[in-house]
Amino acid sequence: MSRYVIERLGEALVAVWGIVTIVFVVTRMLGDPAVLLLPLGTPEAQVAALRAELGLERPMIIQYLDFLIRAVQGDFGLSYQFFRPAMDLVLERLPATAILAGTSIVLGVIIGSLAGFVAAVKRGSFLEFLAMTVALLGQATPVFWLGIMLILYFGVNLGWLPTGGWDSLASLVLPVLTLSIFVAATVSRLFRSSMLDALSEDYVRTARAKGLPPGTVYTRHAGRNALIPVVTMVAILTAELLGGSAVTETVFSWPGVGRLLLQAIENKDFPVIQAGVFLIAVIFVGTNLLIDLIYPLLDPRIRVTR
Amino acid sequence: MVTTISKLAGAAPGSLRSLTVAAWLGASLAGALASSASAETLTIALSSTVNTLDPTQAQVVGTDVSVATHLYSPLVARGPDGKLYGVLAENWQPEGDSAWLFNLKPGVTFPGGEPLDAEAVKWNIDRIRNPETKSRNRSWFDPVSEVEVVSPTQVRIKTKGPYPTLPDQLSMIFFLSPEWMKTHNPATEAYGTGPYKLKQFVAGDRLVLEPNDKAVLEKPTFDEVTMRVIPEASARVAGILAGEVDLAFDLPLEDVERIKKSGRADAGWVPSSRSMVVRMNTLKAPLAGNTKLRQALNYAVDKEGMVEAMLGGLGTVSQCQILTPAYFGFNQDLKPYPYDPAKAKQLLKEAGVTTPLKIELEVPLNRYFMASEIGQIVAGQLQEVGVEATIKEMDFGAWVKTYAGRDMGQMALLGQAWPTLDADGMLGLYAAANPTAYFDDKPFDEALKAGRGTTDPAKRLEAYKTATGRMCEEAPVIFLFAQPFTYGTSKKVTWKARGDDWVRATDVVKK
Repeated sequence: MSRYVIERLGEALVAVWGIVTIVFVVTRMLGDPAVLLLPLGTPEAQVAALRAELGLERPMIIQYLDFLIRAVQGDFGLSYQFFRPAMDLVLERLPATAILAGTSIVLGVIIGSLAGFVAAVKRGSFLEFLAMTVALLGQATPVFWLGIMLILYFGVNLGWLPTGGWDSLASLVLPVLTLSIFVAATVSRLFRSSMLDALSEDYVRTARAKGLPPGTVYTRHAGRNALIPVVTMVAILTAELLGGSAVTETVFSWPGVGRLLLQAIENKDFPVIQAGVFLIAVIFVGTNLLIDLIYPLLDPRIRVTR
Repeated sequence: MVTTISKLAGAAPGSLRSLTVAAWLGASLAGALASSASAETLTIALSSTVNTLDPTQAQVVGTDVSVATHLYSPLVARGPDGKLYGVLAENWQPEGDSAWLFNLKPGVTFPGGEPLDAEAVKWNIDRIRNPETKSRNRSWFDPVSEVEVVSPTQVRIKTKGPYPTLPDQLSMIFFLSPEWMKTHNPATEAYGTGPYKLKQFVAGDRLVLEPNDKAVLEKPTFDEVTMRVIPEASARVAGILAGEVDLAFDLPLEDVERIKKSGRADAGWVPSSRSMVVRMNTLKAPLAGNTKLRQALNYAVDKEGMVEAMLGGLGTVSQCQILTPAYFGFNQDLKPYPYDPAKAKQLLKEAGVTTPLKIELEVPLNRYFMASEIGQIVAGQLQEVGVEATIKEMDFGAWVKTYAGRDMGQMALLGQAWPTLDADGMLGLYAAANPTAYFDDKPFDEALKAGRGTTDPAKRLEAYKTATGRMCEEAPVIFLFAQPFTYGTSKKVTWKARGDDWVRATDVVKK
């Protein structure tokens, strides 16, 4: 067991390092922050001076090593636009993203698993058709468009809820609704199909043959096993949303990590891009690591094959 | 009372530290009750994020510089009529060609009682000039040689030569307290002599200001001013329609009419100070040394039709110059190149061009107004006279690297503006020495030099008349139009509309 954990941990570290390195190289190939930070038409000497000040005139390998040495110590440098430590900025925006992601996941998973469960159990019924049609629509609708429509209807026409920003509980409703519709759609479709798979398994047939009541069979036997892929999916979705749902955050003027990163990319604010990507990579890889470590506890078959 | 940044985690209402529903509900209710009282509040939507509260680093007029103007005082400010007026300065005049003298209003103090006098002004300007400060605005003071304290209410700014636009540039410089700076960070805190003081700063979301009772230079007119960052244009429209926002800018053109018709709010537009142009690289074949070809392209494009069809009439055709009437140095005598495809073809013949002429048009994305659409219309119209423009769309950040690195393609579409609203800065973009000029014309450069070489406005106007005339004739760009600056207001207020990006609560009038 311990060797398995150490191996997985090593892989996780390599993954984070790989992501951070790729982003480091790609950002530096994309543009020159010094040019963007100064008014267009600034004499070259001044642009060069700023480039030197930001340490961007050094060979890329030197910049990279410098970045690694500092990053290991938790120093991601000063943001070019905000004049403040990059990681502070990202962490400052994390709570807004976390509350949006957390609420949307919880709500989406509850609605999604209920719909998926009902659809699987009531196979071929009108209920299944309805649940799956709604889910398909929910998954196919662009988040951007849905967000704008919700704002126009609930924020403008009815005037019930704020159109954006973040200053009260009410301003959480529409962005959460937008994201949880997406989450619920994804979860319900996956749960339905894995539930159907489980229901055709031998152990379910055995349970039915033993004369157990359908409720017990659905929940205790099929349901529990059908949840395994859903847990994985939810973990990945959570990681994804924690990385900031850039589109939703932009539509709803939500001050989260996604929007900060989008802006940092536009302005070539390297330190913020690197700090943000590092954090998201850690969340992603950490989630996957967690799944890897929890899986054997969920599914005895994995323990056997290892 | 110094206001510090409220970290998201500590931002009320909706504090996350005590994330109990009761606290949230209580806070929201309290907020609702507070705003239902008769307090005069104003909510302004900013179109992009406020980066820093530090006026030394503020560069973007539409956000950081405008925020600073509420918290701090400048020597002079530009009113909605486009004219400069004194804020800390009582009056100012040039002393020959090598200095400006500013007389300050006496007895102005920071909230803690420290004087904002000639000494403080000198300290602030010297601080920006000091390379150690790493101010991105240092270049504004390149022509300054020394700041001299004549008396507590008199400052003389000596210059290395004539610096006619110094007062305009000073409208973007604000004064910090030297004493306070010893122990505080101006990027996230504020302590100034402006009409408002900082109540709350939620990074990336909003900035709440309350009246600065100690303000003597400019008086606050609202009990509370909130500046909300709303990056998405359709969300700004929604905010205006819902009555949540009293003033918003950069709304989609098609929404201006819709807002007006809705009866819920109002909207309008003014010509902005930004001119859209197709840059031609006059240092590269085939456009180099071929004035007739460049003129031909100007005849080939239907500016009027573009404004009508694409902007629904919301725009003003450039008068054969990149200056709009808002700029000092605007030349009234120039007229746009008329749309005349026949003349364009004839000029192409005279220019010795064999058609079809293949040419590249770079279109940077996500920066300039309707760039993609404008690029396609221009290419389509050039096609009709036998010029085949291949459009190369790219990300602005990637494109600007080549543009600023003297490596622009044959043609590129962009918008240009200069914050001092003076021909010196705007036309200076085409002076041969400028890395983004792509134009090398002696008579034009001479005229610019003449305009820069004196502080006498009449002489300067004369010089810019020559410069704009020359630029119209030589046509280093295809002149298009001044981008419209759209805005929306709630039923509560009217806005003294201006197209120069300044956002000031003082320009908003309660109905």
